[in-house]
Amino acid sequence: MPRAAALLWLLLPGLAALEPLSVGLAIGVASALTGYLSHPSFYCSYVECCPSAGHRLNATALKVQLDTKLFGQHLAKDVVLKAVMGFSNNPSPKKPLTLSLHGWAGTGKNFLSQILAEHVHRAGLRSKFVHLFLATLHFPHHDQLKLYKEQLQNWIRGNVSACPHSVFIFDEMDKMHPGLIDAIKPFLDYYEQVDGVSYRKAIFIFLSNAGGDLINKAALDFWTSGRHREEIQLKDLESMLSVGIFNNKNSGLWHSSLIDRNLIDYFVPFLPLEHRHVKMCVRAEMRARGYAVDENVVQAVADEMTFFPKEQKIYSDKGCKTVQAKLDIHEDIAMRDTKVKG
Amino acid sequence: MKLWWGALRAALGLALLPLLRPANAVEPISLGLAIAGAAASALTGIISYPRLYCYFRECCLQRHDQRAAAALQENLDRKLFGQHLVNKVVVKAVKGFLNNTNAKKPLALSLHGWTGTGKNFVSKIVAESLYKRGLQSKYVHQFVATLHFPHAHSINLYKDQLQSWIRGNVSICPRSLFIFDEMDKMHAGLIDSIKPFLDYYELLDGVSYRQAIFIFLSNAGAEKITEVALDFWRNGRTREEILLTDIQNALSVSVFNNKNSGFWHSTLIDKNLIDYFVPFLPLEYKHVKMCVRVEIESRGYAVDEDILTRIADEMTYFPKEERIYSDKGCKTVDAKLDYYYDF
Repeated sequence: MPRAAALLWLLLPGLAALEPLSVGLAIGVASALTGYLSHPSFYCSYVECCPSAGHRLNATALKVQLDTKLFGQHLAKDVVLKAVMGFSNNPSPKKPLTLSLHGWAGTGKNFLSQILAEHVHRAGLRSKFVHLFLATLHFPHHDQLKLYKEQLQNWIRGNVSACPHSVFIFDEMDKMHPGLIDAIKPFLDYYEQVDGVSYRKAIFIFLSNAGGDLINKAALDFWTSGRHREEIQLKDLESMLSVGIFNNKNSGLWHSSLIDRNLIDYFVPFLPLEHRHVKMCVRAEMRARGYAVDENVVQAVADEMTFFPKEQKIYSDKGCKTVQAKLDIHEDIAMRDTKVKG
Repeated sequence: MKLWWGALRAALGLALLPLLRPANAVEPISLGLAIAGAAASALTGIISYPRLYCYFRECCLQRHDQRAAAALQENLDRKLFGQHLVNKVVVKAVKGFLNNTNAKKPLALSLHGWTGTGKNFVSKIVAESLYKRGLQSKYVHQFVATLHFPHAHSINLYKDQLQSWIRGNVSICPRSLFIFDEMDKMHAGLIDSIKPFLDYYELLDGVSYRQAIFIFLSNAGAEKITEVALDFWRNGRTREEILLTDIQNALSVSVFNNKNSGFWHSTLIDKNLIDYFVPFLPLEYKHVKMCVRVEIESRGYAVDEDILTRIADEMTYFPKEERIYSDKGCKTVDAKLDYYYDF
């Protein structure tokens, strides 16, 4: 105590420097700076903000991304582009956008939903406005269904009230308990407001493997009748898909009121990938790693994949999955050639 | 302590006293505190700089660590006998994975083979080349099905715990290594619970699993592998001619259909989440002799060829007529050694 008093007495002359005018000026400048910093246009370049009401998606950028990154899915590209752009340009949509992506493993469903999420929110899946739910991870125990229902509803309600343009992606829909999806039915419907929150600007994406075998069958039929893959139209698949999934006990949408009430806006089918698409995947992966594209390696990796059906061997069993791993095996050949060329 | 601190403050006040007169605005207390604070933070920064810190404590493996792959190659060449396929696949897989800065999914290796052929040994070597402390490292986690997940009725509890464990550890260190032993004894549903972590997701609840490594060990498929090896031997071809493709497809299907596999009807193979199936061939007489020799040398005894042959002869071999492959691989070799070398 006496030490503190002595020190204070030493400092007394220094206090004369505190001047009311300069202090007042300092406070004024500080508050102006704070005001400027909290203005959204400045603030949002550092922290993520919810897109404003007038925000529109860039159609050309989305189209370019889809064309360059997604191989062999002309139907999916078409539908998604039109759906998303139509929804985005509509100043007052009547219900949230609901897409249901169906297809064989490795054909690009997660990839497409990722690209979409990146266009709506720049950070993509890392954005705090994009929510990914996996049935096997987030809703594993069937006996806790009631708890999951409640939590899911609260989560969706809370996040959409924070940002109306939220994106919700539900993966592994074929593993989800049939009753759980019924819990979010009210949010997908044509209501203007539910408990004071409007869900009309949100986007819901459902991914599943259900209907994959039906799609493969249809694609195979086209192939055997000698027609081009690009001739497959959505209408050829849509009605068959909807009924097939509705009746499939594993679909997660089985007998669900989602299809009953036609709350799904678009069924997006993913066709199985052919040999040439697998080669495109390999080339893209090599380019992404910075190697020179060596056609021998591409051919070797594509040949290592297994194809179905047994006789014709047209479609890849795993789509483009495991391509990276196989590339690692051939990598030293690829790297050796890069060193020689470079 | 108090005396020292008081003296310091007094000295500081006295030293800065002359400064008060000319510049009335300079406050010695805050100036002194500021300088002390700056010095302290500089010192802390130097101490916590990763390169320096990591010499004393264990750190999570960062990218661009080339030594791991080279160490792995060298150790496998030197210590693993009779597994030319394993050598090739494991080294390429791990090297390619570590060098890939943009991996799309975690590395998932499935090691299959006869008992005593070196599966745990290889996983130990992999752990040691990644982290110096090997299996003792806090970033390497080993699960034995019969030990950690013994009761079938607690499967829900195990699922929750396993998911939390993996999630927690990968968020601390993205380059974690998880080894699952006795996969053929694991409940079929339990592995499904970690399937989401092995998949091609960028982020799951804010955690990226893309840099982790998962190794699964099991005896499933061993009969199939032995069949292939025996065919080669009967046709007079050398062991080194066996290619990975000869075994791989046969393995994948048989493991999938084997009720004991722990992978039976599991979505791991369905979704092709296993990157590499690594087969372990059964060991022959000459490999058993190599094992014995290494064991003798590691104990520091003189290598006596006679005892070596006797020990190798004592092991049992199959099949009954040809008697080529050791029943227990290299296991029980050290016990037999104790019997012959009585000191």
